Amino acid sequence: MSFSTILFQLGSGMLKSMGIFLWTIVLSLPLGLFVSFGRMSKNNTLRNIVKVYISIMRGTPLMLQLMIVYYSPFLLFGMNIKSFRFPAIIIGFAINYAAYFAEIFRSGIESMPVGQYEAARILGYGKKQTFIKIILPQVIKRILPSVTNEVITLVKDTSLAFSLAYMEMFSIAKQIVAKESTFMPFIVAAIFYYIFNFVVATFMEQIENKLSYYR
Amino acid sequence: MKKYLILLMAVCAVFGFSACGDSSSSNSGGSSSSSSAASSSSSSQKENTDSEKKTFTVGFDAEYPPYGYMDDNGEYTGFDLELAEAVCELEGWELVKTPINWDGKDMQLNSGAIDCIWNGFTMNGREDDYTFSIPYVDNSQVMVVAEDSGINSLSDLSGKTVGVQAASAALTLLQSDEEGGQKALADTFASLQEFPDYNSSFVELQAGSIDAVAMDIGVANYQLKTRGEGFKILDEVLNSEQYAIGFKKGNTELCDIVNKDIEILTDNGKVAELAEKYDISDLLCLEAK
Amino acid sequence: MKILEMNHINKKFGDLEVIKDISLSVSEGEILSIIGPSGSGKSTILRCATMLESINGGEIIYMGQKAAYTDNNKNVIYAKGKEAKYINSKFGLVFQNFNLFPHYSVIKNITDAPIHVQKRNKKEVFEQAKALLEKVGLTDKADYYPFQLSGGQQQRVSIARALCMNPKILFFDEPTSALDPELTIEILKVIRALAKEHMTMVIVTHEMNFAKEVSNRIIFMEKGVIVEEMTPDEMFSSNNERTKTFLGRYHNMA
Repeated sequence: MSFSTILFQLGSGMLKSMGIFLWTIVLSLPLGLFVSFGRMSKNNTLRNIVKVYISIMRGTPLMLQLMIVYYSPFLLFGMNIKSFRFPAIIIGFAINYAAYFAEIFRSGIESMPVGQYEAARILGYGKKQTFIKIILPQVIKRILPSVTNEVITLVKDTSLAFSLAYMEMFSIAKQIVAKESTFMPFIVAAIFYYIFNFVVATFMEQIENKLSYYR
Repeated sequence: MKKYLILLMAVCAVFGFSACGDSSSSNSGGSSSSSSAASSSSSSQKENTDSEKKTFTVGFDAEYPPYGYMDDNGEYTGFDLELAEAVCELEGWELVKTPINWDGKDMQLNSGAIDCIWNGFTMNGREDDYTFSIPYVDNSQVMVVAEDSGINSLSDLSGKTVGVQAASAALTLLQSDEEGGQKALADTFASLQEFPDYNSSFVELQAGSIDAVAMDIGVANYQLKTRGEGFKILDEVLNSEQYAIGFKKGNTELCDIVNKDIEILTDNGKVAELAEKYDISDLLCLEAK
Repeated sequence: MKILEMNHINKKFGDLEVIKDISLSVSEGEILSIIGPSGSGKSTILRCATMLESINGGEIIYMGQKAAYTDNNKNVIYAKGKEAKYINSKFGLVFQNFNLFPHYSVIKNITDAPIHVQKRNKKEVFEQAKALLEKVGLTDKADYYPFQLSGGQQQRVSIARALCMNPKILFFDEPTSALDPELTIEILKVIRALAKEHMTMVIVTHEMNFAKEVSNRIIFMEKGVIVEEMTPDEMFSSNNERTKTFLGRYHNMA
């Protein structure tokens, strides 16, 4: 296998890694926000359920969660999981990352001074308006560094999809390694992950810069 | 912010769908048929009038050359997959090649995600768990050691560290105390180390952190050929066994169709031709009538 | 006409009674100052009036409309929906810590609520906002962000923000206590100007001289009750022992 073929193969694997990455981000950020509402809810039952959920998601390996999500429709209901591989990966990643994002959102929301809510209330903003116009934009600025951390971890975590034999970059690298009997594809994959993350980190930095117009 | 979000979602959709489209196979060919050969083989004659092709999903370990691996073009190939392709041509099925994790093979098969395990799959000792096709390759489990290690026989392995692939036939063999099992031998090792793939075990062998790796002879030949000097296969083998195609226990209908096709392919020389191509002619145990 | 009436207000934090049966009222154009030591409940009564704290008993009436009352079972009932919205639009509050929205520019801080809450005409709101900025002496700071302003400037913006809602009554919760003395003057100037326009105001403050100068009436509170109600002229000549002690301590500190 020529070097350019290896690059091409790993490149096509990277597209799939990016697919996992983007779907996870798009689903887990909003989900995380709603989970954080549940976590801060005045309803005891809801709050405790969410607490347990977050604790399980953070307390068990993501790889095992992926396997459980993928295999449980079959194990529990005997369903055919033939075309469930990709959805299972996205669901697994999204619910795991939502738990982390929920805690980040919670820390951001709870760090907001009560005066902001009071000022909004006196000015007649409704609850929804207050959250969307006043609180959330400030929360986003506050939590951005933590979110960047998670997002960078996510790029690397996409490689865990190999455990469901999904042909993302790491799985492909393993296969080329098996065929070529050399570690070189792993090095190339590492460089690809780094470039991926470099782009992601730069993008996040730009958002941070955009939001640095106020303190 | 809004602009970024829309862009992100657009990009996401593109990647997601492309990823979704070929997540389970490398050559799905755009067919949308989801009914599998396994579930409809009994009525396949009647339904052949349908324009939609039946799919035949083969599960394999893509890190297992020469039986199943990724070729220079990034396509999955190997002796087993080409043979499977030939069977599909005979039956008018569409072959779906699904790489699996060897650890998860039973779950994949039982859940119907794959129709069979066809990938240098040792039948001996597993007869109770699967419905097997006729055996097509005579395999033996062998020990690979470093050329200058001074290890020349199985008894030399006493007190040594031996590597083996997780969930492999070699591991089963080394843990079996039934007749023909090699647990007694394994008990003389300092330790038995399980690896997820052959590559890492070979690197450790090279580095000297393990002293020997147990594996199928076909795999051993391939590894020695691609890695060049520095390794040897012990003359003493651990056992002899056969490769066959594993179907879900009780799925004799599909098994019979494949058996019949393999006989046809043996008789018309296709099997011998493929064996030649993949350098495993010595191991073949099918003979043309 | 009474803008605000508070009758028999009770407020507890847990078991601690911080407001004990307080009644007060504010007429149109009147400027009421509330003074007293910290912990006297003077800020709490303001937070009750503005509904930031809920009361445990009594009634709050704005311009004849009940914002809250106590029913026969001693449950406090607050106005809801449209009625509450209407009452809410009648008062404004200037906070001790300004509580400007840091992600909004000065002009957006002032105009956002009138446009998006009161749904008023954009152009008209902007014109009013500019006039208000001129009034508080910050015409050139319209496009600045709060972090670029001094404390005194921020507080003046927050006054403009409250005024742009066209309230009938404006509450000040220790508007100068987070500021350096020299910045305090800027705020007092603005309040003095508002007083000239007969804006109805309730000011919780510890600026005794200012309270004396600007207000029509002064309430001295201690330990959750009104100790004395007086005119500014009566303040420093009060015969009430507790008022005298408080003012004496204040003078010693100053």
